[in-house]
Amino acid sequence: MAGAAVLRRSARGIARHIAAAPSLSRNALQQPERLLSSQASPEHGARGAVSGSELALYPPERVRNFSIIAHVDHGKSTLADRLLELTGTIQKGHGQPQYLDKLQVERERGITVKAQTATMFYRNTTASQDSDAPRYLLNLIDTPGHVDFSYEVSRSLAACQGALLVVDAAQGVQAQTIANFYLAFESNLSIIPVINKIDQPTADPDNVKDQLKRLFDIDPSEALLTSAKTGKGLEHVLPAVIERIPSPPGKCDSPVRMLLLDSYYDEYKGVICHVAVVDGALRKGDKIASAATGRAYEVLDVGIMHPELTPTGVLYTGQVGYVISGMRSTKEARIGDTLHQAKSIVEPLPGFKPAKHMVFSGLYPADGSDFEALSHAIEKLTCNDASVSVTKESSNALGMGFRCGFLGLLHMDVFHQRLEQEYGAQVISTIPTVPYIFEYGDGSKVQVENPAALASNPGKRITACWEPTVIATIIIPSEYVGPVIMLCSERRGEQLEYTFIDAQRAMLKYRLPLKEIIVDFYNELKGITSGYATFDYEDSEYEQSDLVKMDILLNGQPVDAMATIVHNQKAQRVGRELVEKLKKFIERQMFEITIQAAIGSKVIARETLSAMRKNVLAKCYGGDITRKKKLLEKQKEGKKRMKRVGSVDIPQEAFHELLKVSNSK
Amino acid sequence: MLRLAFPLVSHLPPRKPPPIRQRPPPARRYAASAATTSSTPSSPPPSHPPLPPSSAYVHLPFCRKRCHYCDFPIVALGSSSGTTPSRGEAADDPRIVDYVRLLLREVAATRPVSEDGVPLETVFFGGGTPSLVPPRLVAAVLDALRGRFGLSACPEVSIEMDPGTFDAARLRELVGVGVNRVSLGVQAFQEDLLRACGRAHGVKEVHEAVGIVTACEGLQNWSMDLISSLPNQTEEMWEESLRCTVDARPTHISVYDLQIEQGTKFGQMYTPGVFPLPSDTESANFYKIASKRLSEAGYNHYEISSYCKSGYECKHNLTYWQNRPFYAFGLGSASYINGVRYSRPRRMKEYAEWVQELEDGTWSHKSRSSDMKDMALDVVMLSLRTAWGLDLQSFSKSFGKSLALSLCNTFKPFVESGLVIAMDMERQALPHIDFELDLQNEGDFGSRVAFIRLSDPDGFLLSNELISLAFGIISP
Repeated sequence: MAGAAVLRRSARGIARHIAAAPSLSRNALQQPERLLSSQASPEHGARGAVSGSELALYPPERVRNFSIIAHVDHGKSTLADRLLELTGTIQKGHGQPQYLDKLQVERERGITVKAQTATMFYRNTTASQDSDAPRYLLNLIDTPGHVDFSYEVSRSLAACQGALLVVDAAQGVQAQTIANFYLAFESNLSIIPVINKIDQPTADPDNVKDQLKRLFDIDPSEALLTSAKTGKGLEHVLPAVIERIPSPPGKCDSPVRMLLLDSYYDEYKGVICHVAVVDGALRKGDKIASAATGRAYEVLDVGIMHPELTPTGVLYTGQVGYVISGMRSTKEARIGDTLHQAKSIVEPLPGFKPAKHMVFSGLYPADGSDFEALSHAIEKLTCNDASVSVTKESSNALGMGFRCGFLGLLHMDVFHQRLEQEYGAQVISTIPTVPYIFEYGDGSKVQVENPAALASNPGKRITACWEPTVIATIIIPSEYVGPVIMLCSERRGEQLEYTFIDAQRAMLKYRLPLKEIIVDFYNELKGITSGYATFDYEDSEYEQSDLVKMDILLNGQPVDAMATIVHNQKAQRVGRELVEKLKKFIERQMFEITIQAAIGSKVIARETLSAMRKNVLAKCYGGDITRKKKLLEKQKEGKKRMKRVGSVDIPQEAFHELLKVSNSK
Repeated sequence: MLRLAFPLVSHLPPRKPPPIRQRPPPARRYAASAATTSSTPSSPPPSHPPLPPSSAYVHLPFCRKRCHYCDFPIVALGSSSGTTPSRGEAADDPRIVDYVRLLLREVAATRPVSEDGVPLETVFFGGGTPSLVPPRLVAAVLDALRGRFGLSACPEVSIEMDPGTFDAARLRELVGVGVNRVSLGVQAFQEDLLRACGRAHGVKEVHEAVGIVTACEGLQNWSMDLISSLPNQTEEMWEESLRCTVDARPTHISVYDLQIEQGTKFGQMYTPGVFPLPSDTESANFYKIASKRLSEAGYNHYEISSYCKSGYECKHNLTYWQNRPFYAFGLGSASYINGVRYSRPRRMKEYAEWVQELEDGTWSHKSRSSDMKDMALDVVMLSLRTAWGLDLQSFSKSFGKSLALSLCNTFKPFVESGLVIAMDMERQALPHIDFELDLQNEGDFGSRVAFIRLSDPDGFLLSNELISLAFGIISP
């Protein structure tokens, strides 16, 4: 039980994790082997309209708001699909798997980035065979599984009274299971453990029950055993939701007050907010206001997600749905904000926080002339993801670009991917950095979000520096403890805890500098543990550290976009590696190129790229110069795509490759 | 000075008359007035002198088999053909006869650019292996050209010949019908290398061919082709090839660096720079060795891949380097007439259809006439291949002083590093300090520097890089 106690303490903060990127196909191919009898009320067919008067039939005691939480790939999305099918909300075999993951990036990575809600109507006929058994309105609030979005998760969970904690019957409790459990636990949710994938030959539900008991003090008899793939055990899930999860606690006769869960920008409809009505009722035509911004809006449309936008004209206490109110940008729709009846004084719902940016990176158009296009794409995307901070910056190598702040590394990755996939932007990003704090001899302090902005020779002494740290939880089969301890100490980690969660698996807790885990930590961890390690982290304090700015120079000219801040003891090795990488990716040119890494005026690593030997025009045979000309034009275009510092051309790949420079060894 | 009268491109210095007595290039070619051709619909921009072509390229695509590096439009005849030199009696291969018939139709259907009969100064029979074409058919083509465009009194008439495809009698016959320059495709002096290239001849045939050419009366001007950077070629082999070449005493030598082209056998087998091909360093070394050895033997390195004894520049190729117009006939060949470059179809059937359209007057080419930018690119690309280099004065006149100045500014670091040589009017190299002084303002520009060229061998070796830099200035 010691492990559980430790974990409970650690869950005070907001846990973060980096999810692996499982393939889509795994979930896509799963279909129930036998048909489950649909228990949907016929009057609420999958695509049937729902009127406001019907919603009035569901007072809070007939409403259940719940979420599904799980470690990545333990079957959350498939279970959600099955529940939607079971209630007739979507048709079996129709629509795409992972129904609630709408973004391409979500499907590809098997992750949820945006919160989604789905309203289901369900008559519990298992408890009594009576066809007059009451119908319930069930709201499934799909949270981002991703804990870069832990704040968003906490807001989604705040709208729920219960959660299905899904655990893979073979893999057992993983790092993200622990983080999610505590998030739900801290939100006072009723937790229904669901041991899923029991159809697998290696399934060991009893062992998982033991883990749940040991780690979370969950009574083994509470666990439901299911296979979302075969359908086995699914019939017990929704009855358990109704029986074990309390109804939402709101006051029906108060002025309307609701929690803003997430928002989307739709080109035709404008901003669509997902909301949970806490008190009162929301009707079309109502005037509402934002507690965070004070702005007032008129409700133009209101309804439920069933599973698509279904106008009802009203939402009652405890119900979850959408509202469209003429907001122009999602920047006006802050997650966690309270929307309330305009001109009435209401207590805002607790827990609202502005976004906290932990990872920064420069984003530049791959082709310098595409600045306007990139600017437009970023503007559009931030319309849908207001949690990214954007400021203009410029670089000697990359021209005009943007410094963007992200909630975490995956958030950054997802932002890049969406820029490319949804807006066709070709982007060069600089080495991600974390917000450091530097203090000078004169007592002044600066927060540094771009290493290039820190003077290489500031003229005044740096007296202290601080960097953000995280508390990381790593769960591994015990034979991998040695290498993982090695890895963590290479990453300047401080061991806080080392316990066993069962006979085979150990849990390590480390304090690690955030910088050390933002690039390649998780991949390396997976690599040295044959993929068995699971990893999660939560933000912790800033800690004092011995940090230096390292410049990269080409023929003596610093390349601002390649500057990094590194720990003094690692500077030599990182410098060596960066310089070697650049030597590999910069092509030979007509002169010798020296590549140096330097701290201040001290060169710590150096490579020389000798001059190109030969690039000779072939014969212009029979006077056919057009081919040769095309070749030269192509060569010219190739040069144009390069980034130039001084007289040295730097291929775009060099920038991409620098992101991969390892922090360990 | 002729070269100053010609505003577009640089010229080679006035030549000593070669052994075959030739008239100097007729002055009217350079002085052609705009008035005579202003009515031409696709007349080039006014700065481009509307010269009528005085050169013709004729493509004779037949080979016994395709060499492994070759991606030219050729027709492989198989081993049976061409080995027995004919004196006209033996039955000609019908594929050759049919093709020459097509060629004659194209010549007949081509309208001379000038009505006042500017005759051809150069004719080049390239291939393919033109020596596989029976001499009387070559004669027929020459006659047709003479009839249609006129031939000057002493034209340069070149033909490419491969060892093993001709004997002394056949060569005599060719010389008899007017051929006066032979380009012998030797490529290497090593049996293994020839075999690896898929050449249809061995070293024995090479020596025989050299013997036949050097013994041929009335033929003093001949060239030998070599290829460097062949698979498994060693420095010793390359030195040997150069030695054998110098010993054969051709008046002209072409040295080509092997290019691995897509779709060729070599393209499938090899990757440039990777064994058994030489590394870039080795390959650059081959180029430098050739430059050194051939210069020592008294050859001028007058163009990236061309060397000659004094006065023996290939006049036909100079047409190309000097960006002058030329006719072209035959499969896949490229012409440059009235400022328009046109490449004929590379497939026989399409070429035949094209000739038909030309005869019917239904063909109109879609390729647009070169604009000023294209012209500037061509001038830079072609002139920088030559030792004469880019004539800045005429370039400024045609394309503007500021563009010439920008080019020079781009080359500034390379003048300093020695890849590019700046020269004054007397063609004396300028120290880079003087060159840079000249560039300080547009007014002074050109007071000292008159030419720029790529250095031999280092600048030539990086010609692609240097020329594409210039392209970036002309066409950003």
